[in-house]
Amino acid sequence: MDELFEHASTVNELLSRYGVKFGIYKNGQFNEQLFPFDPIPRIIKKAEFEHLEKGLIQRVDALNLFLADIYGNKQIVKDKVIPEEFIFSSSGFLQQCDGVVPPKNIFSHISGIDLVQAKDGTWYILEDNLRVPSGASYPMIARSLCRRTSPETFARTKIEDNRTYADMLKEVMNFVNTGGINVIVTPGRYNAAFFEHSYFAEKTGAVLTTGKDLVVENDNVYYVDYQGNRQRVGALYRRISDEFLDPMTFREDSVIGIPHLFEAYKKGNVAIINAPGNGIADDKGIYYFVPKMIKYYLNQEPILNNAPTYVPFYKEDMDYVLSHFDDLVIKDVSEAGGYGVFFGNSLTKEKKEEFINKLKAEPRRFIAQEVIDFLDIDVFIDGKRAPRKADLRAFVLSDGTTKVWKSGLTRFSRNPDSFIVNSSQGGGFKDTWILSQ
Amino acid sequence: MIKIKRLNFRYDLASNFHCSVTNHRFTLKCLPQNTARQKIEDIKLFINGVEYRQNATDSFGNSVVYGCISESHDKFVVSMTGTAFTGLDIFEEFQPDETKSVIFKYPTPLTTPGNGIENYFKSLELEKFPREYEKVLHIMRELHKDFAYKKGETTVSTTAEEAFNKGCGVCQDYAQIMTALCRMAKIPVRYVTGAIIGEGYSHAWVEALCNGFWYGFDPTNDLLVNNQYIKISHGRDYSDCVINKGIFNGYNRQELDVNVSINDEQ
Repeated sequence: MDELFEHASTVNELLSRYGVKFGIYKNGQFNEQLFPFDPIPRIIKKAEFEHLEKGLIQRVDALNLFLADIYGNKQIVKDKVIPEEFIFSSSGFLQQCDGVVPPKNIFSHISGIDLVQAKDGTWYILEDNLRVPSGASYPMIARSLCRRTSPETFARTKIEDNRTYADMLKEVMNFVNTGGINVIVTPGRYNAAFFEHSYFAEKTGAVLTTGKDLVVENDNVYYVDYQGNRQRVGALYRRISDEFLDPMTFREDSVIGIPHLFEAYKKGNVAIINAPGNGIADDKGIYYFVPKMIKYYLNQEPILNNAPTYVPFYKEDMDYVLSHFDDLVIKDVSEAGGYGVFFGNSLTKEKKEEFINKLKAEPRRFIAQEVIDFLDIDVFIDGKRAPRKADLRAFVLSDGTTKVWKSGLTRFSRNPDSFIVNSSQGGGFKDTWILSQ
Repeated sequence: MIKIKRLNFRYDLASNFHCSVTNHRFTLKCLPQNTARQKIEDIKLFINGVEYRQNATDSFGNSVVYGCISESHDKFVVSMTGTAFTGLDIFEEFQPDETKSVIFKYPTPLTTPGNGIENYFKSLELEKFPREYEKVLHIMRELHKDFAYKKGETTVSTTAEEAFNKGCGVCQDYAQIMTALCRMAKIPVRYVTGAIIGEGYSHAWVEALCNGFWYGFDPTNDLLVNNQYIKISHGRDYSDCVINKGIFNGYNRQELDVNVSINDEQ
């Protein structure tokens, strides 16, 4: 594997030339930075991956059933498995989607499930991302560049090919397509994940477009090319968030959306990937209930566990959180991207008191988790291996059957003392190898 | 006793653009609804220059008309006429299934209470009233006394808390403050857009769920909704009931002229 290290800087240079960058807005300024690639892959053995695969399929199946239930009959609320507050006071629940059935009844076509491995080898689910999870393109392109720089490594090692992601994605789009072309809608070149949008379009044959080139007429969506030719759109893989999707239904001030798209979608004339309204299922407060959903909808025991989580909404959990405050990680359910997360023991006495008052006033807004003793994995720094915290984003695709991509995005924290691996917080990434024997 | 009225109504909207616009997409929520209290007949809706238009229903059950005018135009004119039979009952809707009203129990960005509304809520001492209907009635009476009607002080994006702290506003503000107060009392409440005899403009009030029945309360006028009212739509707050939404190409200023008239035939 050593030849991989020799070529690490070449691969990083190529990644930068291909535009594998992350755009970050900070203090109103747009800056692009490289998403640093580390040459040491995360390696997952075949049997271990099969276990993860079963657990991820089970989880995503339950989440899809939950979404169909919540925007339909709401049986899980009627049966009091989830308290109504957790659904209806969440900004993730979109009233506009109530009663709307997406094509083939699939809500989460592409799910990004974040996991971490503890020192004892147990995997825990940290977060579900069912809106527009990004990141699959990075291990895809890194793999193909590494195959070019060190082909001998890949001739010797038996690993699953991860370039299959494009075909999986194409199958998902074709499966829900209502008759027309597939398009990928990007907010534009200043979006943090623009590289990914263009890469997927190239690899799947879908048309890359912004909202400006799409029009809705008589409840159908059309792509208008530069010559004015119109083609009907059957599946729309949007990389813009729900609130900007259609200014007539959601945020009126959205300039990147497509007016009346939602009406075409409601009538079943176009598939939107992922379905609008999925934010209710990946809400940090709802996360606590996912193991209960698995029992409720599938009548199965969860194969993969959540990190031990407390919901101060329940009195016994509130008592536990107050008495173990310094040992816990606290998360604000209304924040994302690594923001609103802190360790109980990091607060000064005054800040802690202030926070506890806030917690008592708005218990629904926070969850608390046990700190997981992460299994560190090595990264290559200054010619040496050094241990760092890392997570794994697994990609689960649903097109009638649910499949797990045999790779994944491993993100690590470059700061040795940090647990936060989000790319928006300056982390790097690795390829994830699944051994095929 | 209930007295049925036959009302002929007319709604006119004229939007004048200073420069021509193209590619104008609009969504109108102006069609009155059938409820237990009112029945609507003979609706005629005219929209000038429209290329296509469609009908839909939003997730609250409100009728929506939407469409597009691609050609260059400097005027957007909508006119609607129809007949309403009002006063058919004293409530709007019977809804015993609680899960259908749960969305109306939680605050929205426009109706989230702050210190002002929270303190006012405490001062109302609603615990003295055992029944929901009495609580809502008390909220309406008190708010009508304590909040002043004044135009030009608030806008469509003013929140309930901001309006409350100003102490004055228009029907939208009355309705949104009342919405916030009822939700604090755990009573499902919805914001209503409609019209009232003799006002000339659209009006807003609320409906509260009391013992399975949705009743209309008008805090601006301190009145129970009766045969003088024509309901158009309901939602969680103003933003769900916007009568006219539009998007077009062209840098612009526009002047909006809205006129509502209701004639009582008797």
